[in-house]
Amino acid sequence: MNTIDRFLTDSSKANPEKIALIDDDSKFTFSELEEKVIKFSSFLNQFEEKSVISLLFENTSEFVISYLGIINSGCVAHLIPTGISQSNLQHQISSAQPKLVLSSESYFYRIKDIELKNSEKLKFSDVKELSSKYKTPLPTDYAYLIYTSGTTSTPKGVPITHSSCDFSTKNITKTLHYSENDIDLLPLQMSHSFGLGCLHTSLYVGSTLVLQKNPKPMDILESIKKHNVTTLAAIPSTLSNIVSNYYDDSLNSLSNLRLIITNSTFFPSETIRKLRGMLKTGIVATYYGLTEASRSTFMIFNDDNKIESVGKPSDGIEIKIDTKIKNDHIGEIWIRGPNVLDNYWKKEYSENKSNDWLKTGDIGKFDDDGFLYILGRVDDLINISGEKVYPQEIERIVKVLSGIDEVVAVPMKHKSFGEVVKLFVKKSVDSEINASDILSYCIKNLERFKVPAKIEFVEDFPRTDYGKIKRFMLKE
Amino acid sequence: MNSDGLKLNLDDDVKKIFFETFPLLTESDFDWEKTQNNYEDWDSFAQLNLITLTEAKFEINFSDDEITSINSAKSLLEITKSKL
Repeated sequence: MNTIDRFLTDSSKANPEKIALIDDDSKFTFSELEEKVIKFSSFLNQFEEKSVISLLFENTSEFVISYLGIINSGCVAHLIPTGISQSNLQHQISSAQPKLVLSSESYFYRIKDIELKNSEKLKFSDVKELSSKYKTPLPTDYAYLIYTSGTTSTPKGVPITHSSCDFSTKNITKTLHYSENDIDLLPLQMSHSFGLGCLHTSLYVGSTLVLQKNPKPMDILESIKKHNVTTLAAIPSTLSNIVSNYYDDSLNSLSNLRLIITNSTFFPSETIRKLRGMLKTGIVATYYGLTEASRSTFMIFNDDNKIESVGKPSDGIEIKIDTKIKNDHIGEIWIRGPNVLDNYWKKEYSENKSNDWLKTGDIGKFDDDGFLYILGRVDDLINISGEKVYPQEIERIVKVLSGIDEVVAVPMKHKSFGEVVKLFVKKSVDSEINASDILSYCIKNLERFKVPAKIEFVEDFPRTDYGKIKRFMLKE
Repeated sequence: MNSDGLKLNLDDDVKKIFFETFPLLTESDFDWEKTQNNYEDWDSFAQLNLITLTEAKFEINFSDDEITSINSAKSLLEITKSKL
């Protein structure tokens, strides 16, 4: 098993003069990047091994140097998303207890006033080279710490070991055929598991990583052409926006990509079809994973019949369906493998495990060919007179209506049925759709008991720092 | 529009709600006096759909007692009318 620091040192040894990283107009070869990382880690070596260092950066080379510097010094990198709320930032800092909080110049204002015990706050530019003893992390050491997005509850700290990261990186590389010939465009935050995984993969195979601070469609399309990009990693909404609103430009830019990878369990099928239609020989792929169990499945969209699947379990990972919660082969998804977390950070929460199986809280099923489908969350199930309904089934139906941007179905207490469906709807700008239009459509297209008993229109939804809707806040 | 016009619209709207809620209902089967027991598919969930759709269409709310008393197209029409 490798440690993450080896990804860079091995690629640097193999191809020292090759471009490793492009950040706007700055380019770094592998040897230049390695040198900067070593200098940076010399400062961090003053901290004891396994100390936590928090990072708050945009998608820049400064992040990459800081992150790898922390890894090199045997410390644990606590990765903070730039969109974090002040209360969540304080929560994470109190939980992680870092010895140092580092930020970019432009994000220093966010950490300036937070309360810290026995630690300091620095900007990237404040870090100076020191002469210090080189440290080597072990595969079993924690490499980084990411907090869950808090979609269903309070954000929980998930520490990831070097060996777990090594396992996932090799799985990504093998399944999606990453190689040193790739030029990977990354319009994603590396403080999130998806973006960070892309960084690890590029370093591991020795490809070139192009950082994109701004996920605006035209900027992405221009970068693809400018840098002769071969792979693009982006969230579904970015991809949908690109193919819906920039179709002609997309045809021109995307057609030569060899891979488009996204991270959603609910990737709109229309977007998949359009992307597949644009690519000459490339593939569109997604994966299913949690912060607690990264890249548990991969799905390469070759077959229109499987377009709603998240694919098959990754090599070395077992997935089973616990049908106690539902029935007919539908139930909670359990995962076992080297990618599954040992414990939450400092055991602040009990990990939901049984004999090494992680109980994900996701509801799913396998089809006869072994493809996994995600149907919703256990916590989100609506129990209507004993019938367990997953809200996504209702949401998918309603989303088809024009004039609706987003929709969320939640349980609402009912004296006769226990629970019934309540629907929250965010209308599109200038939409004139009303509750009776939606209900009429639901009556035509859903079983009676699934038809919402109440519809409420909202301006927007409560969201996590990652932009995900906090469903639990909509429940009674 | 005169009151007869309003009444006609309301009748039509309530009838339409019935046809939406009971898609198997035909014009010849519809009767304002026909009660819940004479509908094969008027179960408790159909009742909920009927009430929810009427409330949404007319932007009104029914009390529990009113909901219990709705057992025909006529009773739905009468109670709805009383709220407009």
